[in-house]
Amino acid sequence: MRITCPFCGERELGEFTYLGDAKPQRPAADAGEDAVYDYVYLRDNIAGVMSEHWYHGGGCRAWLKVTRNTLTHEISAVEPAAGAGAAKVGA
Amino acid sequence: MRGDQANRLNDGGLIDRSTPLNFRFDGKILFGFKGDTLASALIANGVKLVGRSFKYHRPRGILTAGSEEPNALVELRSGARREPNTKATTAELYEGLEAASQNRWPSLKFDVMSVNQLFAPIFVAGFYYKTFMWPAKFWEAIYEPAIRRAAGLGRAAGVSDPDHYDKAWAHCDVVIAGSGPAGLAAALAAGRSGARVILCEEDFVLGGRLLADGGTIDGLPAAEWIARAVAELEAMPDVRIMTRTTLFGVYDGGTYGAIERVNDHLPVPPKHQVRQRLWRIVAKRCVVAAGAIERPIVFAGNDTPGVMMASAMRSYINRYAATPARRIALFTNNEDGWRTAETAIATGLQVAAVIDARPDVSPAHRALAGRGGFPVLHGSVSGVDGGKNGVRKISVSLTGGARGEVEADGLAVSGGWNPAVGLTSYHRGRPKWRDDIAAFVPDGAPPGMAAAGAANGAFGLGACLREGFEAGAAAARDAGHSGNIGSMSVADDEAFSLTPLWHVAGKGKAFVDQQHDVTASDVELAQREGFESVEHLKRYTTLGMATDQGKTSNIAGLAIMAAVSGKSIPETGTTIYRPPYVPVAIGAFAGHHRDENFHATRLTPSHHWAVEQGAVFVDTGLWKRAQWYPRAGEKDWLESVTREVKAVRSGVGFCDVSTLGKIDVHGPDAGAFLDRVYINAFSSLAVGKARYGLMLREDGIVYDDGTTSRLAEDHYFLTTTTAKAGLVMQHLEFCRQVLFPELDVQLTSVSDQWAQFSIAGPKTRDLLKEIVDPAEDLSSEGFPFMGAREVALRGGLKARLFRISFSGEMAFEISVPARYGEAMARNLMIAGKPFGVTPYGTEALGVMRIEKGHVAGPELNGTTTAADLGLGKMMSTKKDFIGRVMAAREALVAPNRQVVVGIKPTDKARRLRSGAHIIPKGETPGPENDQGYVTSVCFSPVLDQWIGLGLVERGRERIGEIVRAHDPLRGEDYDVELCNSVFYDPDGGRQRG
Amino acid sequence: MADFSWDIRSPLDRALVAGPYGAQGEAGVSLTEIRDFDLVQVMARRGKAGEMMKAATARFGVAAPETPKAIGTADATLIWSGPDQFLVLSKDGKHSIEALDSVFAGSASLSDQSHARALISVSGDKARAMLAKLSSIDLHPDVFGVGAAAATSMDHTSVTLWRGQDRADGQAVFDLLVFATFAASLWHTILDAAAEYGVTIGHSEDLA
Repeated sequence: MRITCPFCGERELGEFTYLGDAKPQRPAADAGEDAVYDYVYLRDNIAGVMSEHWYHGGGCRAWLKVTRNTLTHEISAVEPAAGAGAAKVGA
Repeated sequence: MRGDQANRLNDGGLIDRSTPLNFRFDGKILFGFKGDTLASALIANGVKLVGRSFKYHRPRGILTAGSEEPNALVELRSGARREPNTKATTAELYEGLEAASQNRWPSLKFDVMSVNQLFAPIFVAGFYYKTFMWPAKFWEAIYEPAIRRAAGLGRAAGVSDPDHYDKAWAHCDVVIAGSGPAGLAAALAAGRSGARVILCEEDFVLGGRLLADGGTIDGLPAAEWIARAVAELEAMPDVRIMTRTTLFGVYDGGTYGAIERVNDHLPVPPKHQVRQRLWRIVAKRCVVAAGAIERPIVFAGNDTPGVMMASAMRSYINRYAATPARRIALFTNNEDGWRTAETAIATGLQVAAVIDARPDVSPAHRALAGRGGFPVLHGSVSGVDGGKNGVRKISVSLTGGARGEVEADGLAVSGGWNPAVGLTSYHRGRPKWRDDIAAFVPDGAPPGMAAAGAANGAFGLGACLREGFEAGAAAARDAGHSGNIGSMSVADDEAFSLTPLWHVAGKGKAFVDQQHDVTASDVELAQREGFESVEHLKRYTTLGMATDQGKTSNIAGLAIMAAVSGKSIPETGTTIYRPPYVPVAIGAFAGHHRDENFHATRLTPSHHWAVEQGAVFVDTGLWKRAQWYPRAGEKDWLESVTREVKAVRSGVGFCDVSTLGKIDVHGPDAGAFLDRVYINAFSSLAVGKARYGLMLREDGIVYDDGTTSRLAEDHYFLTTTTAKAGLVMQHLEFCRQVLFPELDVQLTSVSDQWAQFSIAGPKTRDLLKEIVDPAEDLSSEGFPFMGAREVALRGGLKARLFRISFSGEMAFEISVPARYGEAMARNLMIAGKPFGVTPYGTEALGVMRIEKGHVAGPELNGTTTAADLGLGKMMSTKKDFIGRVMAAREALVAPNRQVVVGIKPTDKARRLRSGAHIIPKGETPGPENDQGYVTSVCFSPVLDQWIGLGLVERGRERIGEIVRAHDPLRGEDYDVELCNSVFYDPDGGRQRG
Repeated sequence: MADFSWDIRSPLDRALVAGPYGAQGEAGVSLTEIRDFDLVQVMARRGKAGEMMKAATARFGVAAPETPKAIGTADATLIWSGPDQFLVLSKDGKHSIEALDSVFAGSASLSDQSHARALISVSGDKARAMLAKLSSIDLHPDVFGVGAAAATSMDHTSVTLWRGQDRADGQAVFDLLVFATFAASLWHTILDAAAEYGVTIGHSEDLA
C-alpha cells in the first residue's frame, strides 16, 4: 500500500504506522465517564470507507487522517491532523 | 568435449555449441551446451526418468519446458547450497552443475517406496483424515514419522545458506510481465512514448513462445524481429530489461514483487555479488503479457516419462535442438497441437500418429499426414504402456468405440491453452470463462493492470502483437506519456479450433495434479463425499497445493469436478489465486537482514570505550548495552555485578544511560502540554528543576515514566524509558497534532544528541568536583536534589547536570553532546581514579533500582495503574490529563488490586525467581488462590540475599505476611515475606545528602 | 589538576575505514563522511510560519524551504525536515544554535542536532543502484533533481536525504543525515549494498 503524505508525497506503507478510527473526538474534561468510555473503547470497524489516523513516523512525523476503503485499500483522501503544519494557522 | 548427447540435433536451436558444459545428474557426468536448461540437456542425453512422485513414488519425466513444471524437480547443487525442488525446466545449465533426483531411495531406478503404488487404495484423497485417526497417540509416534519419510519432495540443505541476497526498489511508469510478442510490442509502444518501462522476463532470453514457435513478423523471421525490437529497447535510456526476473505478485497501490535470479546460472555468485534479488517495483501501470500455459488432458498413464506437453516438445526440438523422442505420437483436441507434428516432420523425426479428439481435421493437416506417412486417429488416448524407461505403446479409444494401439517412444499432448491469470487475479479478481477458447481469461484485474496477448486469451501471433502494442500505448498514456509510438508490428493470426476435452475415462491412474499425485478418481471421490466446492476440493485432495500451485492441473481438476457434479465449468469456478506466482526463497525476502544484520543496531556514545573495558553486552531492543564489566578472577556475572553495586554504594560508579529517550519540548505552551500528558503537574516546575513524571494511556493504565527538567521558561527536556522512546515520541506527536492542536508546542527527538551518564555513590560529588569547573557550586544548597542546569566542565566543554537518582545514592546525571560521550567515559575514569570509580552495567543498575523499590518495565507492564505502583498520590486533581477519567473506574481503584510490594524469601539462602506465583499460606495453588506474582528479582548485596518486587493483591496492607511463592515451571515452592518495596534507605537520606 | 581533553569522535569513527572496499576496479560508489558540522532544527511556533520564513530570509538571503527541498546558501544548507520546520546545516559556528537563537526568537523553536546525526555523502556511477537497495524513494533524475529532499527511512531508520550539487564530473551527489546511534549500523548496511559495485571510502571536514 502507498499513502500520499500531504507534506512528503507518495510513500510506501513501511514509513507509516496505523492507529485506527479517526472519528472519535476526545471529550471535554467535564464530559463524564460514559463519554470517555465511548471515546476510548467504541471503535467503528467498517467494511468499506473509513477515516483513519496514520502516523508518518518514518518520514515527516505528521499525523494524518486517511480516508481508506478497508475492502479494497483504496485511499480517497489524505489530510494532515489539525496540529500538523499548525504554524500556518492565522499566518 | 560434447559427450554422447544422443538426442541432440546436429544443427539448429538457440544453444551455443561453441561452449560445451559438463554437468552431473545423480553422479553421472553428462554434457550439454550454454543455452540449455538442465531439462533440455537431460533430454539431449536421453534421460527420461528424472524423479519419483510425491505420494506413490511413480517414475516421472519432464512434462513442460517452463516454470509450470510439476514433475522434473531436482536438488540442485550440493552441501550448504543444496536447493531442493528446483525445476529442471528453468534451471540454466552451467559448467559443473550438480543435480540429484528427489524422493527416491536408494536410487532413482530402484526405489523401495514405489511399493506405495501397491497400497494406492489407502492413499486416496483425504487419506490422512481417514486412516490415521485412531488411536490418537499413534499419530505422533508412528503415523506421522512414517508418512514424512514416505512422502515429500527434496531435502533442505540443513545448514545456513552461504550466499547473499538483497532487496531493492524500482520505480517506473509501466511494468511489463513477459517478453513474448505481446510483451515486446507493449515495451516498444510504451518506451517510444517516453514512459519509464521495466520489462520482466523470467527466462534468460527474451522472446517467449517465439523462441520455440518462430513465425514471421513485419516480414522478418521471428528471431530477427526479436533482435531488432531488443536493440531498439536497449537504446532507450528509460527502458530497463530484466531477464531471469519473474513478476510474482501485485500489492496495493501499484507495488509489484519480482524475483531476479541474479546468479543462479553460475555455480557460485561472483565475490561481492548476490545470488538473488527481491524487487519491489512501484509502477503506475502494468501490462501482463505472461502468455498462456498449455494444459494436459487427463488419461490413464498420462504421467509416464515421455508424455510431454506438445508445446514443450516443440521448445526442446526448436529452441534446444534436443529431441525428447524419435517416434512421436500426438494427442490433441485443437489446431495448435498440430504444430508439434509439423515440427517433428520438419526436423526429420517420425510421427507415429496424431490422435485428434475433434471430429474434423483441416485439409492442410491431412496433407501433412499424407506427406509424413502417419495416420490421423479420431479419438482419445486411453492408456499408456511404459514405465521408468519411457513410453512404449499408446492405447487409443477411437470415436465410434473401436480400440487402437500406437507404438511410439514419446507422446505429445495438447488440451488447449490456459491464459496465465495469476497476476490479474491476485486481488481477488475472478477470471471469466470464454466458451470460444474453453478457457478462463482475466477479469477484475487490480487497478492499473491490463492483460494482453495469450495472457488475455488472444492466441494468434498477430493478435498478440496488436494487443501488446495497444496495451503498452494505453498504459504509457495513462501514466502521462504521449510521445510518438510509431507503427505496430504485424503478423498473421493462426487458425484456432478446439473441442474441449479434459478427461478420458479408462483403466489405471489418470493424474490431474502430477506434483501432488492427485488423480481423476480422487476428484470424483471428493465430489461423492461432498467436497464439491473448488476450495474444498483443493484442500481435501491437495490439488494445486504443491510448489507448482497447480499451473497444469487446477483447470483440469475443476473441469472434472464440473462434469461429475453436473455443473458448467464457470459455475464451478476457480479457487482464489494468491501470490507468489513462482516459489520465492525466504532468503530473498530476508535479504540483508540475517545473522548480525537481522535488525539495525544502535550503539551508545561510549560503546567503543566499553568494548575496550571488556564489557559484556546485552541486546535491549536495538541497543547494545554494557551489562556488566567482568574483572579477571571473577567467576560469574553475579560476582561482577555484586562488586559493581558495592562499589557504587560505598564509593562512586557511573553508567551510560544514553539509551533513555530524550525529547526537547519547546514553546510557550510546553508546560500546559506536559500537564495534559503527565498525571502530575509540570507547568508549576521551576526553571532549573527536574521532576519525575508518569504518563497514562487514555484507558487509565500506566504508559511510561521518566524525569523531565525545565531548562528555560519555554523549554523542557523530557526523558522516556529506553523501551518506549519511539512510542512516546509518537504518542506525544499525537497529543500535539491531533488532541491539542490549540497548544503552541514543538517536539524534537534529541535522544542521539546527548551522551548521558549516571554518576552515583557517596563520592559522586568528589568525582564531579574534579571534572566540573571549580566555579560551579555542587553543594546541596547550590545544587539541591532534583536540580537541573547547564555547567561548565574543565577544558571548556558545556554539560547539563541533573541531580536525580535511580540507585538511591547521592547521584547526578550528566549530559554532553554525543560526540564527547567517549571522552566523557574516559575522563570520568581519570577524574574518579582517586575515589575508586567503577563503571557499572545494566545489571547493577537493575539491582540498585530493585533495592530502592523503583518500578521499571516488569512493573509498567500494561496492566498496572499509578496506584498499583504506589504512585497514586502523584495524580493531580486540579487538571485534566490523559487517562484521568478512566483511571477512576471502579475496577481500577478496587481495593483488592495487585499492587507493587517487596518480596523476600524467609530462607535467606533461597534464590527468588521472577514469575513465581503468590499463594496464601495453607491454600492450594491454582487460579482461585493466585494473588499475584514476582515481577523483578535480584541478589541484593546490601541485604545479602535475593529480593524482589511483585504485584500482589492488597500487597501494601499485608507487609510482614508470610506467603508461598509457587513456581510450577521450575518445580519450586517456598515461603516469602511481603515487605516494604523500598529495601534500601527508605527515608531517602542518602540521595538527598 | 590538569584540564581534561575533550576529544570529539564521530559515530562512524571506528566503522569507517578509508580506502577501497568490495569489488575491485573502478569504484562505482563513493562514500564520504562529512564531519564536524553544526545542525539546528528550526520549528515554527504556532501561527508563526510567516515570521519564521521572514527571519530565515533575512538571515540567509534566500527563502527557507516550505516543501521537501534543500536550498544552498553562501554558508549553509537549509533542508526541509517536515511541515513548518527545516534544518540548518553549516560549519564553524556561523549558524550554530547559539548564533541562531536571537534570529528566530519568538518565531521558532530551535533544537541542536549537531551531535544527533552523522552526515554521509554518496556519489558515483552506481550511487542510485546502491541507494535503491536502501531507499524506497524514486531517485530518477527527472523526479529527484538537484535540491530535492526527503524525510524518509532507510533500513527502518529515519534519514534526511537530499540531492546536493553535482560533482565536477557531473555525477549526482546524495547527502544523507542519519541518527548518530544508528550510523555505524547503517554504514555497514550501505557497505553491504555497495560492495558489488566497488566502493571508495573517505571522510572530510568540508561541507560539499
